[in-house]
Amino acid sequence: MGGCGSISGSAGEFTPARPGVLTVATSAVPSPGFWEGTAAHPTGGFEYELARELARRFGLDRVAVKVVHFHRIVRGHLGGADVAIDLLTPTSEREEALEFTGPYLKSAPTVLVRAGTEVPDLKTAQELRWGAIQSTTFVETIEDAIVPEGELVLFDGQQEVVAALEAGRIEATLLDLPLAVAIAERSGGKLEAVAQLPDKEALAVALPQGSPNRQAVDSAIRALTADGTIEDLLEEWVGDEAANAESEIPLLHTTLH
Amino acid sequence: MPAALTPALAGISLKSPSGATWEFLILFLVVIVGPPLMTRARVPGIIGLLVGGFAIGPYGLNLIGAGNTTVPDLGQLGLLYLMFVAGVELDLALIRIHRRAVVVYGVLTFALPMTFGTVIGLALGWVPAAALLLGALLSSHTLLLYPTARAAGLSADRGVATAVGATVLTDTAALVVLAAVSGTQVAGGSPASIAAQIVVGLAVLVAFTLVALPRLARLAFRFLGTDRVVRYLLAVASFLAAGTVADVFGIEPIVGAFFAGLALNRLVPNEGPLMDRIDFFGSAVFVPIFLVSVGLLLDPGVMVEGETLKLAGLFIAASLAGKAAASGIARLALGYSGPQATLMLGLTVPQAAATLAATIVGFNIGLFDQSVVNAALVLILASIVVGTLLVDRSVPTVPSPEAVAHRVGARILVVLTDPAQARLAFPLAARVAAADGGIVRGMLAAPAAEMAALEPRLAELQAAAYAAGVDAEPRLLVHHALAPAVVDTATESRATLVVLGVSTVDASFLGSDAEAVAAGLAVPVAVLLGSEAEVREVEVVREPADRPGGSAFDADGLAIDLGRRIAGAEVEANDLVPESLQSPRPGLLRIMPATSWQLMAGTADPGKGSAVLLLPDL
Repeated sequence: MGGCGSISGSAGEFTPARPGVLTVATSAVPSPGFWEGTAAHPTGGFEYELARELARRFGLDRVAVKVVHFHRIVRGHLGGADVAIDLLTPTSEREEALEFTGPYLKSAPTVLVRAGTEVPDLKTAQELRWGAIQSTTFVETIEDAIVPEGELVLFDGQQEVVAALEAGRIEATLLDLPLAVAIAERSGGKLEAVAQLPDKEALAVALPQGSPNRQAVDSAIRALTADGTIEDLLEEWVGDEAANAESEIPLLHTTLH
Repeated sequence: MPAALTPALAGISLKSPSGATWEFLILFLVVIVGPPLMTRARVPGIIGLLVGGFAIGPYGLNLIGAGNTTVPDLGQLGLLYLMFVAGVELDLALIRIHRRAVVVYGVLTFALPMTFGTVIGLALGWVPAAALLLGALLSSHTLLLYPTARAAGLSADRGVATAVGATVLTDTAALVVLAAVSGTQVAGGSPASIAAQIVVGLAVLVAFTLVALPRLARLAFRFLGTDRVVRYLLAVASFLAAGTVADVFGIEPIVGAFFAGLALNRLVPNEGPLMDRIDFFGSAVFVPIFLVSVGLLLDPGVMVEGETLKLAGLFIAASLAGKAAASGIARLALGYSGPQATLMLGLTVPQAAATLAATIVGFNIGLFDQSVVNAALVLILASIVVGTLLVDRSVPTVPSPEAVAHRVGARILVVLTDPAQARLAFPLAARVAAADGGIVRGMLAAPAAEMAALEPRLAELQAAAYAAGVDAEPRLLVHHALAPAVVDTATESRATLVVLGVSTVDASFLGSDAEAVAAGLAVPVAVLLGSEAEVREVEVVREPADRPGGSAFDADGLAIDLGRRIAGAEVEANDLVPESLQSPRPGLLRIMPATSWQLMAGTADPGKGSAVLLLPDL
């Protein structure tokens, strides 16, 4: 079975780009709770372990990680990887360049600020200096739902936006809830997740357009959801905080709600 | 246009519709428009919902995107609702009558497609769990075309009744296979511990649904259920509770919902008002939304792929061959006529609810991919078309069943002249109706002049009926002459038994009204005497065998039948002796056929705590 990528004809067949290897594209390693270690030597994290579960299900021996700019991933350039696992939300625009599985997580856009900054209402939120990672759905969410008074500052990646927040160059950003909670947890009290937006976004695995593997990966994601693997991984790598945060972080009602 | 308006209009900004309101609008438009469009094209309306789901879904106009969670979540609730309704609607009384044929046909129509499906799955190289699940989805069926047979007056036909009964077995067995398969996929641990978990889970589920739930529901109906909304919500909460119990043990919640339906089957008679409401919300909202949510998965790109068409062809062949073999064997073994066997086949071929359920569960747990789901949808479409053709062809050739004995408890009309009798009359009527899964209607007879005075007392009937666990929807029967009013109402409501209540023996009432009602109706009439009885014991009394009974039914047999139903145990009839006309002792209900109004009038007033049920046999 090793390397052939076959599970069951009823759940789709998986054919890897490189025999015996599941190659995964992602944009930021390390990413707290999601990708730990380095791309060459990943040591864990929710999305890395999810990739390993997929590889195990497809009978593949190992996972190879490719760091690709987020901007390129959403345009369908996965650098030869079989799949991209990078907190990707399916949108109609992205679906023109990528194929998506069903969601492995549903997460609310969450406001991350420096400790001490309060965001009790939309008006306060609009007065803050906002930053976001370019090409993410959060850019549109901030512009349409929050409508900040100042110019939105765009950043290349997650590390840059977090650094800008810590340095005070921006006052708030939006990230997916589990990531925002994990970053806040590891910031040593410097950052805080203070509000979540009402509409959850689906996060899914992406594949190159026309990939024959979509059905197999889609079936595998559903199986890992149904048997509790994804929930266990989330608890192990992001911790109980994310689950509690969902009910504890207050909702920020925006112009769209 | 005034110049001042131009900049104002230019400043108007419109945004494209989005969010929950827009999604619900799209959803309800599909539910409204889809079925009638298809019906006009002579295609079953259910197809309109599936096609509508596709049209608005990610593979159609993408108005509801792939990442949408609202519609699938609502669809999940709709699926639970569908399975609950499937359980609650089954006519268990009919199944009891033809139980041997039901068991034989049920086993055949489950086992053959199950075997064919499993063999095909294994031959395709699927893992055993996926192959077994394929067998389960092919073996179940949905009685989509039963209304056609019923409308043709064939609901009491032996073949139709057998097909209906077999549905309980096939769907239950298919859902048990589904529970086992999903349990092995979802629960972690050793095979032994998984098997133990499923066995214990099913045992707990059966105990909860079939033992605890009816009792809890009866208590809740009695103490909380005086409000129609509350009664409906209690029914919904029941299947959600059973679904949750199933889920806790790693069994699919739809199995719990189906069992909850079976458990409440007797408490929710098919022709009762609560069933009306369950049916209404199910067919208006929940079930259509489930079907639309399934349509979201339809991907024509996948559907026309060779792999999907190959799978669909195999599924259709296995299902039709299995069902056809079952009806063929049943015809030879159980002696059905050719048209009956064709009608049975037509009724058991259509696949919808349980098939969709098994398919979607298989998809959700990652055992099936989209091509299997699409092939299953092709199977559903084909099975409905084939079933419709078979039923339409066979219905005119099956002779109408000979007049069968009315099920006396199917529709009981209780007419009281004194509201104080309600606490006695409704519990007795409820026990008689329960054996047939029947309904009880209540009326308070009100001479025209007393209408205003009696109307407030309807609340007493309502409370007594609810306390007895029936939704009698009491009404006033305003009349100038009681007997014709009762006869008209009983005829109009197709009553199978009329209970006429009178608190004390009144010769003129018995000699005129009761006699006229009994003479004017072809169905049995029971005159209930007494009001403050708590029945703990039942006695049946009969006149000598050579008495001149004149009614169309066997009054002695009916007396014993009613006695058995009310007592909940077998009863024997004693011969009429002079003491039989005396007041029964407290706690005793005496049931007595009466061949003359003089005999009825000669009966003593029942003392406090006792009652008499007279069956005029004039």
